[in-house]
Parts: sequence; structure tokens; C-alpha cells
Amino acid sequence: MEKDEKKEVFDVKTKDDEPYKRYDWREKLKTRDEKIKYLKSALRYWYSNECYGSEKSN
Amino acid sequence: MDKDYTASIDSATIDLIEKAKKEEIETIFSRAEEIKPCPIGVEESCCKICAMGPCRLPRSKRESRKERTGVCGATIDTIVARNFARKVAAGVAAHSDHAREVAETFLKTARGETQGFSIKDELKLIAVALDFGINVDGKDTKEIAIELGERVLEEFGKQKGELTYIKKAPVSRQEIWKRLGVIPRGIDREVVEIMHRTHMGVDQDYKHILLQTTRCALADGWGGSMISTELQDIMFNTPVPVMGSINLGVLKEDEVNIVVHGHEPLLPELLVLATKDPELKSLAEKVGAKGINLAGMCCSANEVLMRHGIPCAGNFLQQELAIITGAVELMTVDIQCEMQGLKNVAECFHTKLITTSDRAKIEGAIHIEFHPDKGLDTAKKILRLAIENYPNRRHNVYIPSQIQETVVGFSHETINYLLGGLFRASYRPLNDNIINGRIRGIAGVVGCNNVRTTHDLGHITLTKELIKHDVLVLTTGCAAMACGKAGLLVPEAAKKYAGPGLSEVCEAVGIPPVLHMGACVDNSRILIAATAMVKEGGLGNDISDLPAAGAAPEWMSEKALAIGHYFVTSGIFTVFGTTWPTLGSDKVTEHLFHEFEEMYKGMWAYEPDPIKAAHRMIAHIDKKRKALGIDKTKERVLFDMDMRRSLG
Repeated sequence: MEKDEKKEVFDVKTKDDEPYKRYDWREKLKTRDEKIKYLKSALRYWYSNECYGSEKSN
Repeated sequence: MDKDYTASIDSATIDLIEKAKKEEIETIFSRAEEIKPCPIGVEESCCKICAMGPCRLPRSKRESRKERTGVCGATIDTIVARNFARKVAAGVAAHSDHAREVAETFLKTARGETQGFSIKDELKLIAVALDFGINVDGKDTKEIAIELGERVLEEFGKQKGELTYIKKAPVSRQEIWKRLGVIPRGIDREVVEIMHRTHMGVDQDYKHILLQTTRCALADGWGGSMISTELQDIMFNTPVPVMGSINLGVLKEDEVNIVVHGHEPLLPELLVLATKDPELKSLAEKVGAKGINLAGMCCSANEVLMRHGIPCAGNFLQQELAIITGAVELMTVDIQCEMQGLKNVAECFHTKLITTSDRAKIEGAIHIEFHPDKGLDTAKKILRLAIENYPNRRHNVYIPSQIQETVVGFSHETINYLLGGLFRASYRPLNDNIINGRIRGIAGVVGCNNVRTTHDLGHITLTKELIKHDVLVLTTGCAAMACGKAGLLVPEAAKKYAGPGLSEVCEAVGIPPVLHMGACVDNSRILIAATAMVKEGGLGNDISDLPAAGAAPEWMSEKALAIGHYFVTSGIFTVFGTTWPTLGSDKVTEHLFHEFEEMYKGMWAYEPDPIKAAHRMIAHIDKKRKALGIDKTKERVLFDMDMRRSLG
């Protein structure tokens, strides 16, 4: 890849003790409640009580 | 002089094959020139399951006979189906025994009985606990993890019922499996039953044998492999996008190089931790090295690359070549895809070859067994051995300059997040872009390297052809590493190689056109991503309705057959390259390639030409688009009031 073609796409950050770039979006979820809420919305396909999308009629 | 790219398309690989030749070191490439595949074995027209044979039934010599049978009367169809079933069972056993090791370590970690491991990903822990029906309310992480570890281990020895993860599949897929009676009961049971049924004089109906083969393969994809992936994520973190580098150029001339090779990420995780030990860093300086350089090989590489950005030295066919650089102080191998030839190559250099699993020794290698209760001590012992070996380099070091940046770590959770952010995470944007035609479809390109075909050529030719035609590629295993070396795992590759629609979407989301999803056990991530697409809606009711296809253009291992079989029977049209192991029987091949479509709405295909393979996949994707009614670009019409009223 040419150098001039490079672009930063992710909001990457370098941790002091780790010589690589990592974008851990999961660190934004701090508490147990936030995590369960996230599962029920983002991964509603499996963790929401409501049927969803293609399985709505089931 | 121009390089000869017959053996590999990767110039670093070519350079080291040449170095091996000059120094008269035997490698897989030189052995392949001397040993040709057995013409009878290649089509599986040979039965050796009892001592009355082996019965060799090559097509060419038996054409005059009405029916080719063994001395017991077993038909060629039974023989070929049995051989196929046993290969799938071996692949399932490999992934699932890996899963068992991970599950046992997970439970010990939860109980506080391991050294260096912890439960790192609470989000994933909760998700998996809920999958297993564990009530998490009011329980701390340790309690949940212990309960989960105990429940997961039961999956292996279950005798009745269904594997827990089956219920994660789309409902309509579960109905297909139920109707055909192929839902796995327990992981071990399905492998054992294959071995029983294919014993002399048991199951002698090829269609019936292949039903159990399906049940066994599903116990891998929706069982062993999925368990490995999920528990590894809980212990070591679910992958998120991370920058890394790949190819033999990641080795460093002035540092202590340790290569971790194999599949289980348990010891490699602790080696990563141990490299930060100040005492070991100081020891490295004392022996004159500028540092400790850990690099991965094969799927161990994928694991530590996607979780830590540890550089990857290469894929399967590069394992001996890493040692031939003369710069590797030590290579650890655990399980699967480790060539015994490593021992002879290591003996030509100062490299110490260390086996670490109680299930896999190599004659002549040093065995330092890994046990999780003293895992970190073992990791440090191995690193110390490597550091102390640094002054023993006795050859001229030659490290190829080739090195490529990659962005890896696209777990299905991360794809979901990237498509919508924290508050609107969803597969909706992906589905919408498939429906509107910017993305033509999805392809899984996975699998091994095979010395019988040009190294990496199949992976790269196929993948480039797919993305050129706006097919988003999900990749794992050695295929993923090939894509990394070819520069396909960076966002910039979209502009350079992808069709206009796919390129536009990749640029908007900020992703490469080829998404690295992990090691070979992580093909389960592709199943889950496909399921999420189905459940999200708009692309049919089942995985088989998706404009999607799979491929393993350079496959060689039995694990690849297990993976292919669970892809196919989960509803995905899957094309294998290189060779195909049922060509000895027209009926078995017809059953897998055509009749399976009726049964599972997914089928196998064999096409060694990667361009033709890509176009068979694209044709299948287009067929599915047509069935969904999304094959034609619809004109956007601005409705006036009369038109709106006419809608009723």
C-alpha cells in the first residue's frame, strides 16, 4: 500500500504498554445493567424477549 | 534473475524456498516434488477398515465390472461415504477437543485454579450464560463463570436432547434439521457414532451415513467450534479492530524471536503476558538482544494477532520457512497443522522446537507440557529458554523484507457495532446495502494452504474476484493470513480492489472489503453473523435465503471438510478447490453436490480454478437475489398525492 493512500479510519489509540493500535468499543459499557441493556438492544436477535425481523410472526 | 512463482505467489516464501534449496534443507515444497498423491486414495476408492483388504477399487481398472465392490460386497458408494464421514469426524474431533481443553481451563479459571488467566470479558460472559439459560441476576462474575463452565462441559458428553447452541440458528433452519433428524445430541456422541457406523459391516447405505456425517459436522459448527470461540472471547476478550502486521518480515534480526504455532490460544496468551516481564526483558538485553519479539504462525497467530496485535509470521506453508530464516530462537507447537518436518528443519539451525500439549509430541522435540495451574511459570520458562538460545545463532540470518499492515478483529459483535454504533448497533445497514445492491452478497473464504496448489494463489485470486464484483468477504484461518499478506485486510483495499458499490459501503463504514474474523474455530462467528442477517429481516427466513456462499480454495485438512459440511448443512453453497474426496463415487458426489440442495438448501461444489469458483459463487448469490426479488435496481419514484391515495 502506498504511504499517501493511508488514512486513519478508526478512532485508534495506542496504550502505553501495548505497542499496537486497538479500538475497544466494548470498554464504553461499564456496569452490568448497561451490558444487559446493550445485549437486549444490539443483539436483540437472541437476547430480546420480543420476536424480531424475519421471525416476527413465529 | 526473475523469481519462479510456481510454488507460491508470496515473494518472501519464494526467497526462503530458494534459501532452503541452496542449503539442501528439505521442506514440504521439496518433499511434494518427490511424493505424488496416490491416484486411488485421491478419489477415496480404497477401503482399509478391515484386515480382509485393503480393497483398492480404482475407477479406471474396474470400468468393465458392473459394480465396484470390496471383498465383503461393500459398494464403492458405501466405501467413499464411509471415508468421507471419517474425515469429517476427525475434523469435528479436532475442533471439539480444542474446545474441551478451553472449557476445562475456563472452569479452572473461574474457580481460581489457574495461573495468569482471568475472566476478561463480562459482556460476553453474560451473553453466553444467557445462551445456556443461566440466570445471571444477583450473581457475581465468578458464580456465573463456574455455572457456565460446568454447563458447557456437559455439552460434550450429552446423550439425549439437543446441543444448546442449536437454538441460536434461525428457527426455519432448526426446523429443517429437525425434519431430517440431524440435530446433534452431544458432541462426543456424534463422533463416536460415526466411528461405529463406519466400522466393518455396520451402516452400508451412503445416504444414511451422510445423515450422521451432517449431525456430526453440526456438532462442530454449532457445538465445539462455537464453544471454543465464545469461551476464548470471555477469557481473552472479544476481538475488536486492531492494527497488526504480517509475513516473514515481522521477524527481527536483533531481537529474540519466538514463534507460537498451532491452534489453542491458551499458552500463547501467557507468552504475550510473559514478554512484559522486566526480568526477562533484562535477560534479553544481557544476551545482546534488543528485545523479545513474539510472532504467530497459523491459527495461533490469528488468535494473538486479533486480540493483541502480535505480528503474524505466516500461514501453514510458511512454518518451516520461518525457521530457515535462521532468526528463530524457539518455536512452540501445541495442536493441529504442525508438520513433523519442523524437527529436521530446526536441527539444521539453533532453533529449539517445543511441543506443549499432552496430546501432541514430536519425536526429538523438547516437550514442555502446558498446564493451566502453572501456565505463567511455563510461559516464562519457555521465554527464558529462547532468550538463552539467542547467542547460539550459527547461520547467516536472512529475514525477507516483506511485511504488510493489516486491520483484524472483526468479531460478529464488532461488525454489528460498526454498522450502527453503541445505541443503534444492528445488521440493518448491511442488509439494506445488500437489498439496494451496493453489496451483491456475502462470501466466507476460509481454509488451509495445500502444497499441491500454488501457495496463497487460490485464496487471493478468488477473494479479489469476489470483491471486484461487490461481494463482501469474511475470512478466517490461513485464508485470512493470505489476504493479509496481499494487502486486502486494510480499508484502503476497498478503493483499490473492490467494485464501486462495495467500495462505497466500506469507505462509509471504515472497514476493509475483506473482514478478518479469526482462526479456523472462529468460522462459528460467520454462522452467527449470517444468522443475525436473517433475523434482522428483509433477506428471507433462513441462512439459505441469503445471497451468500462459502469457499475453501486451498483446503487440505479434515477440519476443513468438517467446516465445509456444517456450512453446507447450515444452508450455504460451498465450493472447495484443489481436490475433492468423493470423486470415486458418482452417487455420493451427486448426493452432496445436488440432492443436498433439496434437503438442506445448501450444497457442495468442487472447482479448482479460483476464477471459475468465484463465478459459481457469484451465480449462486445472483440466484438468491432473484429469489428475494432484489435482483433488479428499482427506480426511485416520488409519489404524488394521487399515487399515495391509490395505495389505499
